[in-house]
Amino acid sequence: MTKRLLSVGMALALAVGVAACGSSSSDSSGGSSGSPLVGAGSTLVAPLMSKWQSDYASKSEETVTYGAIGSGGGIDQITSRTVDFGASDAPLTPEQFEEANGVEQIPWALSGTVPAYNVSGAPKNLKLSGEVLADIYLGKVTQWDDPAIAELNPGANLPSTKITPIYRSDGSGDTYAFTNYLSTISPEFKSKVGTSTTVKFPTGVGAEKNDGVAAAIGQTDGSIGYVGLAYALSNELSMPLVENSAGEFPEPGVESVEAAADAVSKVGPNNEISLADLPASAKGAYPISTYTYVIVPLESEKAEALKKFITYAISPAAQEFGPDLDFAPLPKQVVAAGKTAIAKIGG
Amino acid sequence: MEAGALSNPVLRARRNRIDRIGDPLLRGLSGLAAALAVAVIVGIVYEVAHLAWPAITHFGIGFITTNDWNPVTERYGAAPFIYGTLVTSAIALLFAAPLAIAISIFLTELAPDRVRRPVATLVDMLAAIPSVILGLWGILVLGPFMHETVEPALKSAFGFLPIFSGDPSAFGYLTAAMILTIMITPIITSVTREVFETVPGELKEGSYALGATRWEMVRQVVLPYSRAGIVGATILGLGRAIGEAIAVAQVIGGATGINISLFHTGSTMAAQIAAQFQGAPGALQKPSLAYLGLLLLAFAVIVNLVARLIVQRGTLKDTDVTPTEVGAL
Repeated sequence: MTKRLLSVGMALALAVGVAACGSSSSDSSGGSSGSPLVGAGSTLVAPLMSKWQSDYASKSEETVTYGAIGSGGGIDQITSRTVDFGASDAPLTPEQFEEANGVEQIPWALSGTVPAYNVSGAPKNLKLSGEVLADIYLGKVTQWDDPAIAELNPGANLPSTKITPIYRSDGSGDTYAFTNYLSTISPEFKSKVGTSTTVKFPTGVGAEKNDGVAAAIGQTDGSIGYVGLAYALSNELSMPLVENSAGEFPEPGVESVEAAADAVSKVGPNNEISLADLPASAKGAYPISTYTYVIVPLESEKAEALKKFITYAISPAAQEFGPDLDFAPLPKQVVAAGKTAIAKIGG
Repeated sequence: MEAGALSNPVLRARRNRIDRIGDPLLRGLSGLAAALAVAVIVGIVYEVAHLAWPAITHFGIGFITTNDWNPVTERYGAAPFIYGTLVTSAIALLFAAPLAIAISIFLTELAPDRVRRPVATLVDMLAAIPSVILGLWGILVLGPFMHETVEPALKSAFGFLPIFSGDPSAFGYLTAAMILTIMITPIITSVTREVFETVPGELKEGSYALGATRWEMVRQVVLPYSRAGIVGATILGLGRAIGEAIAVAQVIGGATGINISLFHTGSTMAAQIAAQFQGAPGALQKPSLAYLGLLLLAFAVIVNLVARLIVQRGTLKDTDVTPTEVGAL
């Protein structure tokens, strides 16, 4: 009896083993056409991506699987080539480029990072400047009735509540966009804090993910934080107006982000584009706008399928889904740079 | 029947075959299972150490005492997180251990049967709350309560102490410690309850017979008899508190410095790893987080060993000692 049980068990184990081997070998030999593209990364781009997925599937009968695991995770996964493409809100650092060994970075969506605040007794749409934001996050402006804030909001009734800056304690594309902006505006912020997906803020409270930051803002009187544009708009957070380089206070939204993107025609090395340093001529431009990127290996078995999908993603047909989800369409010069980059994929 | 079967030469040969193969096979399979467990532990330590190696060679042992964590300047140190781990776990133990002992005494000695079962089940269920839910509750309910009620009260009463100085905040060491208290109380309770139940009835009855009140009986019989078990349970809770990542990361405020005030934001080793490992951009950030993980692993092993030692030595000693102690009553 024991023997029979054992032999049955061993046969089962063997069968499972063989099946596992079989499936893994068919996986690797499977060609580019049959198996779906698999991507992972940025949560910011996820709502847009899910639109693209269904539209692309209906048009081309090819499926794309996407895991919204966060920008950092996307970079990790594409570096180890466990996915076909990665997506990140922050451009790769030179070290990350080197480590990822032969990848192309292409901007494929355009959005923004917005501050949000909760101060009982303060007016709606409080006006702030980049300098004041930098000083708040440096711990130099500590009360809502600080003269620097009062000067931007003449006549407003400001409470003396203590300011609690809230930041992302996990690695985040929003932190990158926000610190990139503050570092551009304030040399002191640049030298004391700097730009990265995680930085060391001298003061404030760290919270996890957009939801954690939103919850922390909601629970703390006198707090200010930053979240993705789409997140802030869909959750109706109260957002201050941030002064742009033209001296205006544009409302954060698709139009103002688009205006910022239109003002910057220079595409940097590795298709990196920073929208933090806008010219004074950029009317109506939202100052903390940011591109989000797709990262693709130059050589892969699915190069053709990747080229096809990314060509679709930057095409007007795909970009037109953006505004409903608070993404601005890509400007022409970025689409052109994207096409040049796509041509490099697969040799 | 057995004998009859074995008298048949064919069956006996088969029996022999089974005997020959069966035992070695059993030994082999179970040995393999045991080896697998060891291999997993060795594999984990190797992987973490391997990942941490660039940070270990770059920062050396000074990593432990460096009070900085700056991904922009690539200077990392474990001190803020070791401090945060120690402070939050210690406070959690300070509250959870007496609470758990009191619950256990109530459940084993005082509560009527009708009450005992549901209360015990509920306490156990407290341990089943997913930590991310507890963390969410911490952000939405406990944090604001600490911020508006508990911390201002502590500040006005003991504000002269540096640990209660500074501005009350919904996020910080104290809020994290309270969340940990809630997490580890059921663990300590369930172990101490088991231990209390092993106190021999004769000892308790002997104590009553000598005229002890219920409190005297608990103090002079139950607690001394269970001392080792209580310490073991507490250290088990400590192990859990040290390793908890998600709920702590949600409420501690993710600051990367040492702050004496318990109201201030900070971070722990586990929380820092959970928050920043995914896609850490700095070349040394991931290795440093792995280094932090290695230290955390060392902490956990030490705590476990200490618990083991205390429980082992304690049980041996206490079974010898208790009768005389009770006799001296």
